[in-house]
Amino acid sequence: MRPMAEPGKQPREAWGSKLGVILAVAGSAIGLGNFLRFPVQAAQNGGGAFMIPYFISFLLLGLPLMWVEWTIGRFGGGFERSTAPGIFETVWQKNRFIKYFGVIGIFGPTVIYTYYVYIESWLLGYSVFALTGKYASCTDQASMSGFLQGYQGLVQNEHFSGVSTAYLFFLITFAVNIAILCVGLRAGIERVCKLGLLVLFVFGVVILIRVLTLGTPDPAKPEWNVNNGLGFLWNPQWGKLKEAKVWLAAAGQIFFTLSVGFGVILTYASYLRKRDDVALSGLTASTANEVAEVILGGSIVIPAAFVFFGPQGTAEIANGGAFNLGFVTMPLVLQHVAFGQFFAFAWFFLLFIAGVTSSISLALPAIVFLQDEFNLDRKTAGILFAVVTFNLCQVVIFFNGHGALDEMDFWGGTFCVVVFAMIEVILFAWVFGMDKAWSELHSGSDIRIPKIYRFIIKYVTPTFLLLILGFWIVQEGWPTLLMKKTPMEKVPFVIGTRVLLIDLFVLLAFLVWLAWRKRQTRGAVQ
Amino acid sequence: MTSAGWIFLVVSWGAILGLGVFCLSRTFRRKA
Repeated sequence: MRPMAEPGKQPREAWGSKLGVILAVAGSAIGLGNFLRFPVQAAQNGGGAFMIPYFISFLLLGLPLMWVEWTIGRFGGGFERSTAPGIFETVWQKNRFIKYFGVIGIFGPTVIYTYYVYIESWLLGYSVFALTGKYASCTDQASMSGFLQGYQGLVQNEHFSGVSTAYLFFLITFAVNIAILCVGLRAGIERVCKLGLLVLFVFGVVILIRVLTLGTPDPAKPEWNVNNGLGFLWNPQWGKLKEAKVWLAAAGQIFFTLSVGFGVILTYASYLRKRDDVALSGLTASTANEVAEVILGGSIVIPAAFVFFGPQGTAEIANGGAFNLGFVTMPLVLQHVAFGQFFAFAWFFLLFIAGVTSSISLALPAIVFLQDEFNLDRKTAGILFAVVTFNLCQVVIFFNGHGALDEMDFWGGTFCVVVFAMIEVILFAWVFGMDKAWSELHSGSDIRIPKIYRFIIKYVTPTFLLLILGFWIVQEGWPTLLMKKTPMEKVPFVIGTRVLLIDLFVLLAFLVWLAWRKRQTRGAVQ
Repeated sequence: MTSAGWIFLVVSWGAILGLGVFCLSRTFRRKA
């Protein structure tokens, strides 16, 4: 029996259409990683052969977690709970402490939001620079890297004397995000994701066609062509499949690209009705993400870099990382093509839109938590969230280059995500129980999921997650926790960032405690 | 690009686009 809405409580929001919620989840999943991280991972980890562990991870890890989040999100929404603390409690009602594990589902996305929105603002800045030709004088990797460092305020050069330009674009981006969030679910997030994904795919296809028709730009180097550029990414290196790190890289890529383990999908799905489908919607959102990642992301940057920089140069660029590829290599490549300013604008604006549709989803759990548990209206909750995260963003902006951003990414964007996914899948398969969970997953469903997934969700996905967590703790977690790779000059900044993150977690846990106390008091009075 | 590379590309694109067509057809079938 589901409870009636409490008297005096704000009316609950709802999605306008089934397609709307699918596009919102797809928008959350499609981000910078699809276009920048995936090609780098594939190129470094076996090329075409990388797709074998990648698709296996998609089937055994990505899809099951996607269905778990959609299902328990909709289930919790039936009890008018839209964030992890409340949703977890509806799944495990007898446990008094499970709500505090749910704090991770608000803490993680809030931390990621604080640095993601800053990186997103760089893309807006570069979209404008592409049209105005501000970086046109940078014609090689070194000068374009200098331009980026100047923009970030890491060095002073002929392009930038400080961080003020970056700060201006940050203010605009931050305001755009908060405005969308304050407008509401249907008029804000749903409308932006519908329009945004349309523009993103149109721009993506236009750039893809342009790259695939580059041919052989330099006749003196006939082997530097698009065909070989695609080969650089897709030719299988079978020997790589024997390396454990390649399988881990593929699992990690699937994990992060689908936005599972963040707590975001829980909140989106909580606004569904009991008879709304989740099985097909989860599959459709995942597929849309794969189209953006494998088809667009896998065919743009690496082939484009290859035809202008050759195999040696592309290998060095790929080893330089995703940011290098997006902010240094792509603008250089697009300077060489006809209508390069337009294509460069399309490239950066595409990434900016991908960023906006992701960052609004990251902000939502904290805002909805304030709305749901403290009965605030959307605007008040949005403004409170803006005040807290605006202050946190200052740490990222002014301590960039001192390790603050990396530290936030490590705890919020890696550790919390894997741990949270583990909690979710255990709650779903072992606490809720697989019979009940399977029935809930198929309630109102438009498709039947193969029964093998009962076994996969109960045994394979948790084991897979344990393996990832174990390897990750040994390889990355422990050395990072002990700051073994941190240069001495960055240690005070890293410790300061950790103190700040602990403060935020404690604050959120206190708010959960306070909200539950208020709820109990209200229950006793009624 | 080698023939093995082409096979990986075509199979990957085919699988994803095929899944996309299946999902969209099911999504809109119910709506109609």
